[in-house]
Amino acid sequence: MSWFELFKKRPIKSAMVKRYEALFASGIAKKTLLTELTFVVVDTETTGLDIKQDHILAFGGVKIIKQRIIIETSREHYLVSKKKSASSIKIHEIIQPKNPLPIREFVRGLLPYLSNDIFVAHHAGFDLGMLEKVCKPFGLRRILNPIVDTGDLAMRLEHGIQYDPSRINLQDYSLDKLCERYNIKVEDRHTAAGDAFLTAQLLLKLLKLAEKRGIKTYGDLMRW
Amino acid sequence: MSNVIVNRVKEFLKGFPPFSFLSSELLEVVAREVELMYYTQGEYIFMKGDPAKPHFFLLKEGSVYLTDEDAGKMVVKDYCDEGEVFGVLALLGQRPYVLNGYVAEDSLLYAVPVETFDKILKENSEVSLYFAAGFAAGQVVVRTDLSQSQKARKLLRDPSSDHGLSLFMEKGKLNFPTEVLTCTADIPISQAARMMQKQEVGSIVIVDELAFPMGIITDKDLRNRMVAAELPYHSPVSAIMTQPVRTIQKGSDFPVIYLTMIKHRLHHLILTEDGTDQSKITGIISDHDVFLSHGNSPAVLIHGLLNTWEINEIKAIRNRAEGLLGYFLENEVAIDFVASIMTEINDVIIRRLIELAKKDLDGEYPEVCDTPFCFLSLGSEGRQEQMLRTDLDNALVFGELPAKQMPQAKAYFEKLGQQIVLLLESCGFSPCPQDLMVSNPAWCQPLSVWKNYFTNWIHRPDESSLLHATIFFDYRPVYGERSLAESLTDHVYQVIDKQKSFLNFMAKNALQNPPPLGFFKNFIVEKSGEHQDRFDIKQRAMMPLADAARLLILSHRVMGINNTFQRYMKLAELEPANAEIYREAGSAYEIFLRLRALEGISSGNSGRYISPRSLGKLQRQLLKNAFAPIHQIQELLALRFQTNMIPG
Repeated sequence: MSWFELFKKRPIKSAMVKRYEALFASGIAKKTLLTELTFVVVDTETTGLDIKQDHILAFGGVKIIKQRIIIETSREHYLVSKKKSASSIKIHEIIQPKNPLPIREFVRGLLPYLSNDIFVAHHAGFDLGMLEKVCKPFGLRRILNPIVDTGDLAMRLEHGIQYDPSRINLQDYSLDKLCERYNIKVEDRHTAAGDAFLTAQLLLKLLKLAEKRGIKTYGDLMRW
Repeated sequence: MSNVIVNRVKEFLKGFPPFSFLSSELLEVVAREVELMYYTQGEYIFMKGDPAKPHFFLLKEGSVYLTDEDAGKMVVKDYCDEGEVFGVLALLGQRPYVLNGYVAEDSLLYAVPVETFDKILKENSEVSLYFAAGFAAGQVVVRTDLSQSQKARKLLRDPSSDHGLSLFMEKGKLNFPTEVLTCTADIPISQAARMMQKQEVGSIVIVDELAFPMGIITDKDLRNRMVAAELPYHSPVSAIMTQPVRTIQKGSDFPVIYLTMIKHRLHHLILTEDGTDQSKITGIISDHDVFLSHGNSPAVLIHGLLNTWEINEIKAIRNRAEGLLGYFLENEVAIDFVASIMTEINDVIIRRLIELAKKDLDGEYPEVCDTPFCFLSLGSEGRQEQMLRTDLDNALVFGELPAKQMPQAKAYFEKLGQQIVLLLESCGFSPCPQDLMVSNPAWCQPLSVWKNYFTNWIHRPDESSLLHATIFFDYRPVYGERSLAESLTDHVYQVIDKQKSFLNFMAKNALQNPPPLGFFKNFIVEKSGEHQDRFDIKQRAMMPLADAARLLILSHRVMGINNTFQRYMKLAELEPANAEIYREAGSAYEIFLRLRALEGISSGNSGRYISPRSLGKLQRQLLKNAFAPIHQIQELLALRFQTNMIPG
């Protein structure tokens, strides 16, 4: 492998990526109270479930600042897409995206939006992988935000911190099942913004539950 | 650009006043700026005395109590359920919270920034009126101005409820006689006139030997072609009849009939088997019938009543009056006007039926049938507030007679009373369950007996006396000798003057039913915190106000004002210091009266029981606001009549 190939594999960091990475020079203090934190809750709709093969069709997000869902921070973007997968069209009913955003535009908006807030998604790993992939061509190696997965958080709160993942029926922790269990009216399901809004409402309720379980600070939440 | 989340918030906001009054654009501005919060049971959203937050709240789900502390105990002042707006003092007065916001069930709330709403308040008169009228929860401590409420109701009413078209006649409502008075061409005019008189009709059709129509004579022909022309009475009818007659086929549609009459300027149109004058008569339509079917205007209805002795027609007209009532109510016509129209219609019916009953009976009692008497309407009809045909309450008082005539007079009036009630019932009025009607011999008495009744009630104010007092004290003469009613009134005041404590007992009685606190979910909430799933608007809201008005007006010795609303207006005039409370009470009574009548019309009953489920948010708020004056009036009575001194 020549140095040239290496260079090609690792694109030059663009200015926006540098600005994003600079936000993480200092982390969130461990003792910050849960009630003071800012979360960015996201969801992506994709052409499929394979991070390598598939890509993002739509992105939705909304922030929770000091335990309030701030509607003004809600985002909904459709991305320009070259290929379409019939299966995802069937689920998400995205056929003609309205005002699709070119990838570069999307990433240019995404990084400042994510900022250094706590990144929240349901089954966060998947959304994280998808978003990292879309950012890669601009020189981003990793999304640096602290991550909270609402599915994992719910399991932890319901079964205690030492829960044994093998003894848990994962189906009980789907977004639909959790919404049902936490009395969240399921609306706009399977749209990126709709699912992000549901996830945000779920997080709002889980955070209250967390406080009751003695999880009071950022450190407690992240198990540090 | 709007997105799924903003739209979702917008959808929710749109369902509840005052957000429901905003345009889609403004609603989106608001939706974009709200924040969603979650509180769990037992938390406080704000505490009494806290400085106002820069937003007010809209409950998305869950429930919140607005509470106060009394001697260390939590007292719920207001209940908020889904869609309730609260914490608005921050918005209106920038004052600290006057109550605690206690979370009774896990709740999701929207916080609406005051800044956003300030702009809207200035631009949207409906929204500012909504708040000015005190519709938001937690405003109970501020005196609500019901005139604002009423104004708000008018402005905020559902525009789709305009039933203007219902005033116009629909097909099939045209009523006309199918038995037509006829005679042959050779009989004398005098005989024809007697036939018309006997049948009480304004026309007679002249027929040939096959009974086919040849001509017609009307009242007008008798005047113009006979009397004015000095024609002898024994002239044959053919001398003055109009011929040929206009005929139309039986079963023709109303528009065809109507147009034919208008085109030919006809007063009468004869229906025949085949539509020509060479077939059998099947009916006759007069312009009067058309007039009646044409519109439900009060004048038309009263005119119709005055022109018929037919029970079925009287009943039909009364049914149509109910249609008129619905139209008036939905179009926010002033309730005192509506009530007076309905009272007038009821009074005309009663008078008509009394005359009908007398006609039947007078022949049997020639010696006593001219005894002066007065028919009194009692209760709600006496107060000129009976809009629906709820129960009948009435009485009959007759003049004094020599002792030997008395038994016969008693028999006559009892029979007359029974006949009147029978007729009223066949016109669709419901009988009184307590039998407070002229059909009951006890309530069909000479003046002296009535004076004794009232004296006894006033001297022995026990439960049954007070019950009778609440109904009988609202008597109003409807037919006959008014002086009988007036001398009864004089007597009542004389007795009360000597027995002032009676008023204190009446006050105690008027305080039996305190108003409820408000609504919560699909329940009505009592001050004790108890929940009921339906609301007796008569007992819990109207009676306390009517009882108080009666008592206060009695204490001022005012005569001749029976209507509760008018009594409060009079009281406001008599006691300027309390004018505001009285005016509020009058407005509240108006609101209840209207709501009850609307409920009665829509559910086809007395409208007495209202299910909170059936009320919109705005109606609930209006109703809740109207409870406040009841409470104030009851406090005034308790203080003024020292009801705590009365045992029992």
